[in-house]
Amino acid sequence: MIELKNITKIYEINKSDKVIALDDINLRIKEGELVVLKGASGSGKSTILSLIAALSKPTSGEVIVDTKKISKLPDNFASVYRRDNIGFIFQKYNLIPTLSVKENIILPLVPLNPDASDIQNKLDIVTNRFNISHKENAIVRNLSGGEQQRVAIARANINDPKIIIADEPTANLDEKLSLHFIEILRELKVLNKTIVVATHDPLFFGLDFVDREIEVHNGKIVV
Amino acid sequence: MKNKINLYLIEYAINAILRQKAKSFFIVFVFTLLTFLLTSVFFITSSLKYELDATVDSLPQIIVQKIKAGRHYDIDEDVVDTLLGIEGVEDAVARVWGYYYFANAGVNFSVVGLNEYEKQYKNSFEKIVKKIELEKDDKSFMVVGRGVQKVMNKSYYKEYFNFIKPDGTLKKVNLGGVFDADTELESNDVIVMSKDSAREIFDMDEDKATDVVLKVANPKEVRTIVSKIKSIYPDTRIITSDDLKVSYQNIFDYKSGIFLALFIVSLFTFFIIIYDKSSGLSSEEKREIGILKAIGWRVDDVLKEKFYESFIISFFAYTLGVGLAFVFVYMFQAPLLQNIFVGYSQLKTDFELPFVFDFQTLFLVFFLSVPIYIGATIIPSWKVATLEADEVIR
Ligand SMILES: Nc1ncnc2c1ncn2[C@@H]1O[C@H](COP(=O)(O)OP(=O)(O)OP(=O)(O)O)[C@@H](O)[C@H]1O
Ligand SMILES: [Mg+2]
Repeated sequence: MIELKNITKIYEINKSDKVIALDDINLRIKEGELVVLKGASGSGKSTILSLIAALSKPTSGEVIVDTKKISKLPDNFASVYRRDNIGFIFQKYNLIPTLSVKENIILPLVPLNPDASDIQNKLDIVTNRFNISHKENAIVRNLSGGEQQRVAIARANINDPKIIIADEPTANLDEKLSLHFIEILRELKVLNKTIVVATHDPLFFGLDFVDREIEVHNGKIVV
Repeated sequence: MKNKINLYLIEYAINAILRQKAKSFFIVFVFTLLTFLLTSVFFITSSLKYELDATVDSLPQIIVQKIKAGRHYDIDEDVVDTLLGIEGVEDAVARVWGYYYFANAGVNFSVVGLNEYEKQYKNSFEKIVKKIELEKDDKSFMVVGRGVQKVMNKSYYKEYFNFIKPDGTLKKVNLGGVFDADTELESNDVIVMSKDSAREIFDMDEDKATDVVLKVANPKEVRTIVSKIKSIYPDTRIITSDDLKVSYQNIFDYKSGIFLALFIVSLFTFFIIIYDKSSGLSSEEKREIGILKAIGWRVDDVLKEKFYESFIISFFAYTLGVGLAFVFVYMFQAPLLQNIFVGYSQLKTDFELPFVFDFQTLFLVFFLSVPIYIGATIIPSWKVATLEADEVIR
C-alpha cells in the first residue's frame, strides 16, 4: 500500500552545495506491515518518513499510497492526506509545550469542527490506550519525557490513522521506557496499523512482531 | 456542520493569546493607547467643529465700529437710525459690551448690556430679557454663563457681584439667573445685564454704544451695503461674518494641523510595530505553524486561526481604546488634550465639549488599525504556512 518508486531527494543548501539524502530508492510496504528502518545518522531515514507523510516532496520519483500519488499532491491536499491517514510520532515529539495534554491531543481534530461528544469519545479512547488519561489537564511542558511521548502517541492516533510513523522514538528515553514503547508498538501492530519506525536503537532489532528490517546507507537501501 | 462557527478554533486562538501573556499585553497596550489617542483627537475635533459652526452661524452679518487713529471708539447710538434707512438692512442694533477683567481669577468675562424694550440681536438674549427683569426696584440684575458662575462662586460671590468701575468705585449687580447655553463657546464667559449697568461699569456716555450690528435681508447684498455704510461713515470699520468665519477657521485649522502631526506620529509608531511584526515570526511561532501543518491542518486552517487571534486582540484593544476615549473626552472633558484645542478662547473657565456622535470617526480609526494589524499578522504566518512543513519543524 506504500510504494516509493525511484525516489531521489536532494537538499540544496546553496547553489554550489547539495546533499543527496536519498539516491534512487525503491521500497514497498504492505498494509499492516511493521517495518524498521535502520542505519547510521544522516543515512536518510527521516527523509523517507517525511516523504511517506507528504511533509516534503521528492526531487524525482513517486510516492504512492493506496494508489494515490501523494508526492504530487498540492499542499492543502497533502494536509488532508496527513490528517486522514498518517499518525506521526516525531523524534522531538513536536507538542505545543504551553497547551494542556488534552488540547495537544485533540489538535488534529480542531479544523474539522467536530461535536464535543465526538471529541470526548476519541480522546477517551487514546488517553486510556496510551495511559495518559490521569494527566489530561496537565500542561505538557511540565510532563516527563516518557509522558510527553505518550501524549505524542495519543495525538498521532486520535484520528485512528491507517499508517503510524515513528522517528527515533526511543532516542530520548531510558531503557525501561524504551521497552514500554516497544510494547505500545506491539499493541498498534495488533490494531493492524501499517507502521514504519526509523531507529538505530538495537532494542528494535530482532523483535518477533517486526515484519522487516531495512537498512539505509548513504541514501540507498542495502539489500 | 460545515457552516457552523468553529468554536474549537476560536478557543485555540484565545488560548494562543493568553499563552503569550507578555507579548499580548504589550500589543493590547500599544494598540489601545493609539486608538485611544486617535479617537480622542477625532472626538474633540468633531465636537469643536460642531461648536464653531454653531458659533459662526450666530455671528452678526455686519458689525460697524467707530475708528479714530486706528483705534476703536464708542459709536453714537443714533447712527442706528441712519443705518436702518439703507436699503436692504433689515435690522440694526447698537450693542453695549466689553471685557471685564476679574483679577481674583485672572480671567476675562464678556459683559453684554441689553435694553429690554429693544429688539435683541440674538435669540438667546431675547429669551433672557423675557424671563428676567434686569432692573427692578432700584436694583440691577445680571444673567451669567455657567463658567462665570463657577468662577464667581469660587470667590464667594453667590448672590451678587461688585464690579469695580474705572474710577475705582463699586457697582453691585445681583445674580438674576444662569444661562442655558446655546453653544458653550459663546455663552460660557458671558454676563448679561442692562445697558445702563454695563455703561456704568465701562464708564460709557448714555448715548454711546460699543458697536452696531446689522441684519441683512439678502446675504448677497452684504457687499453693497458695506460700501454704502463706508461712504456715509468714513470713520468706521466694518466687519462681516465672513471675515470672522475666516479668522475663526484659521485658528482652528492651525490647531488641527498640530494634531494632524501628532496623528501622523502615532500612525508612524503603529507602523513601526507592524513592521516589526511582519519582519518575521519568532522561531516558536514558526515551529507551532509547522507542527499544525504536520498534523494535518491546511494553510487556510492556520490562517483562519491567525485571523481569529489577531481580530480578537485588535478588536478588543480597539473597543477598549474607543471606550476610554469616550469616557475621557465626554465624561472627563479631555483634560490636557482639550487645552491644546481650546487655546483660542481667552477665557480659562470650564467649557463643555458637546456630545457629537460620529460614526465616520469610529470607522476611520477602525480601518486605520484593525485590518492593518490583521494583515500584518496573517501575511508572515501565510509565508511560513506555505513552506514545506518538514523544513519548518526540522
Ligand atoms: N532540510 C535539509 N536541508 C539540508 N540538508 C538536509 C535537510 N534534511 C536532511 N538533510 C541532510 O540529508 C541527509 C539525510 O538526513 P536524514 O535526516 O534523513 O538522516 P537520518 O538517517 O534521519 O539521520 P539521523 O539518524 O541523524 O536522524 C543528511 O545528510 C542531512 O544532513
Ligand atoms: Mg532522522
